[in-house]
Amino acid sequence: MKRLLQSVLLLILIVAVRPVQAQHQLGNSRISGDFGFNGMYYIPDSLIGADEVDSKVRANAFLNLLYSNGGFSAGVRYEYYQFPLIDFEKINYQGQGVRYFFADYKNDFIQVTGGNFYEQFGNGLALRAYEDRQLGIDNSLLGARVKLTPYKGIYITGVWGIERLNFESYIGRKDYVRGIDGELNFGEMFPKLTEKGFQLNVGGSFVSKFERSTDDYSVFLHPGTDSAAIANIPAKKIPQNTPVWATRLSFGYKGFRLDGEFAQKMQDPNISNDFIYRKGNALFLSATYSMKGLGVAASFIRADNMDFRSQRMMNLNSNLSINNIPAINRQYSYQLISNYSYASQPNSQIGVQLQVNYQIPKKSKIGGKYGTDLTFNFSRFHNIENAWTPEALNNGIMTGTEGYTSGFFKFGPDLLYQDIGFEFHRRLTKKWELTLAYNYLIYNLEILQGHMGTMHGHLVAADLLWKVAPKHALRLELQHLYSKDDEGSSVYGLLEYSISPHWFFSVGDNWNYGNPDKGHRLHYYNIAAAYVWRTTRIALNFGKTKEGILCIGGVCRAVPASYGMGLSITTSF
Amino acid sequence: MKKLILIAAALVISATLWAQEPVMEKNLAKLPAVTIQTLDGQSFNTQDIQNDGKPIIVSLWATWCRPCIAELIAIADEYEDWVEETGVKLYAVSIDDAKTSARVAPFVNGKGWEYTVLLDVNSDFKRAMNVNDVPFMCILNGKGEIVWQHTSYAPGSEDEVYEIIKQLSKEQ
Repeated sequence: MKRLLQSVLLLILIVAVRPVQAQHQLGNSRISGDFGFNGMYYIPDSLIGADEVDSKVRANAFLNLLYSNGGFSAGVRYEYYQFPLIDFEKINYQGQGVRYFFADYKNDFIQVTGGNFYEQFGNGLALRAYEDRQLGIDNSLLGARVKLTPYKGIYITGVWGIERLNFESYIGRKDYVRGIDGELNFGEMFPKLTEKGFQLNVGGSFVSKFERSTDDYSVFLHPGTDSAAIANIPAKKIPQNTPVWATRLSFGYKGFRLDGEFAQKMQDPNISNDFIYRKGNALFLSATYSMKGLGVAASFIRADNMDFRSQRMMNLNSNLSINNIPAINRQYSYQLISNYSYASQPNSQIGVQLQVNYQIPKKSKIGGKYGTDLTFNFSRFHNIENAWTPEALNNGIMTGTEGYTSGFFKFGPDLLYQDIGFEFHRRLTKKWELTLAYNYLIYNLEILQGHMGTMHGHLVAADLLWKVAPKHALRLELQHLYSKDDEGSSVYGLLEYSISPHWFFSVGDNWNYGNPDKGHRLHYYNIAAAYVWRTTRIALNFGKTKEGILCIGGVCRAVPASYGMGLSITTSF
Repeated sequence: MKKLILIAAALVISATLWAQEPVMEKNLAKLPAVTIQTLDGQSFNTQDIQNDGKPIIVSLWATWCRPCIAELIAIADEYEDWVEETGVKLYAVSIDDAKTSARVAPFVNGKGWEYTVLLDVNSDFKRAMNVNDVPFMCILNGKGEIVWQHTSYAPGSEDEVYEIIKQLSKEQ
């Protein structure tokens, strides 16, 4: 009851605050913020697997307030997830209160932050404290951060903090993460380099987690093994400090650019690697070339035993991840393949990604008046090669040993994901615009989603826009996924009518007509309307959501089937 | 029941928030000072977003955001005329993170966009601007004051953007 009262009071505060800020900016000080509400009324539907939930009305809500005055700023976020949407409840993102607050001061030489902060070193192979509200990830650190710029082009960052986990507090455990990062930007140091079209950045970081261990030996930790195997586990100490270092380089000359980062993790026996003592490493390379009308980007990634979390017993979602091994494949927003998005495998992946963007010039014979955009994409990821060490073989279990060896550039036997895609976009006339896309996907269901098989699928998509009249537009989206695997073929159609800048109306249906289980050849329809006024958006929708996964940038979480009415409101001020 | 009341309260409050948005923002704020990056890896302070007293458009976008791209394509078709007429400059701040930030330059060039593109890989600028979702666009007047902000994109809303920058360039 006390909590309830607190929540109500805090919400009232939200209202109180708003007129204050809307009026004035006192001197240089300013209050701004944003607010989001995402609610749903759930209707059970046994056919699609939408279970009866204990509270039919659920919502996620948050409010950010930011105060700034010159070099000083401070912020606080109140989150209300007491009765969250069911997918958030499933990942334990449940609770309410202030779990994010900070104060920050900066000038040209120094920036000091106290409280919660987000930070990334380089590409994030060693440290990435970030937030993705849609996925329910918040890996912010609670502690302190100092950034120094002692000389033009020299950047030093030091962090110390305790990682956030949903609404629980890890403060009591006295486990923490600390790190330091340095970067030299030669282009800023020597402007002549920049004038000649060169760019050169070199950086390095060192991050270490400290996690107290009460169970001193790996033998005590391994869950779920039979006693015979446990007897073979060597009694090795669990290291309480796990460091990761990384070094990176970025070089550019005119339209060409090369980026690389290599990271190594010291001994880190944890639940995701079966408590082995092997060191981990990751290499991320990317080369791009572009000139007007043409862009080529190629990247390579290899990650070996690089799952790095502030609690060794944690392996659910991205909870308590300290680093981030990026999923470098191209991300698509096509509805029918959203359930087959690649999820980054920090412990075992090697792969490449290639993308070419080309514009057939405007006002040319083939390009047409407005030009034509063509995109080609290829990506392929495997697991890494993995051979058990003699000791592990001898023991019959990897735990407590070096685990395995792996040839560095060898692709492992399991294909995880492959995508070959083409996209064509052209504005046909002043009123008509067309996008066509084709993708061939191979997706390893067993490793990426934990159920048997491999999905091979062909996706064809078309997006047609018709500007009916000034401010009025009608958009038709059609997709067809052809597959004999998993849930078979589906078609999807969406019709959206918009009256700019305020109104959006849409109706869509996803029909899984080719499901091998005839009883599951179902329609998942959706009707939605949204009203946008400046920075405020209010959206209502009614319909069914298919059970699946939601992936944003290679980080995924499960989405349960649902049916009902949703309301979402976001605003910033 | 408690939950229902709370949610209803949240609703009412949201409605209040929405209703109270002033028609013309009186507290003309400027852009926050956040260090982000240029496409060639140089640090860039967002307070240096300037255009010699002419209007500025700042767009927050990402390579994986379809409406963002649709909006920037729609503006690209008109951009030459806009620049000629109003002197406007568009800063396209990408919130792509490490996974995709290296692909921003080839993407932009592949589209033939003439915008000034910046990278906000840690979402620092996005947070300082209180942006929930992209696309998010704001227009600054010649003094660098934010006169208009907008979220999401509907085809044709670029016309409103054009009207505003035309007005601003006349006010010079």
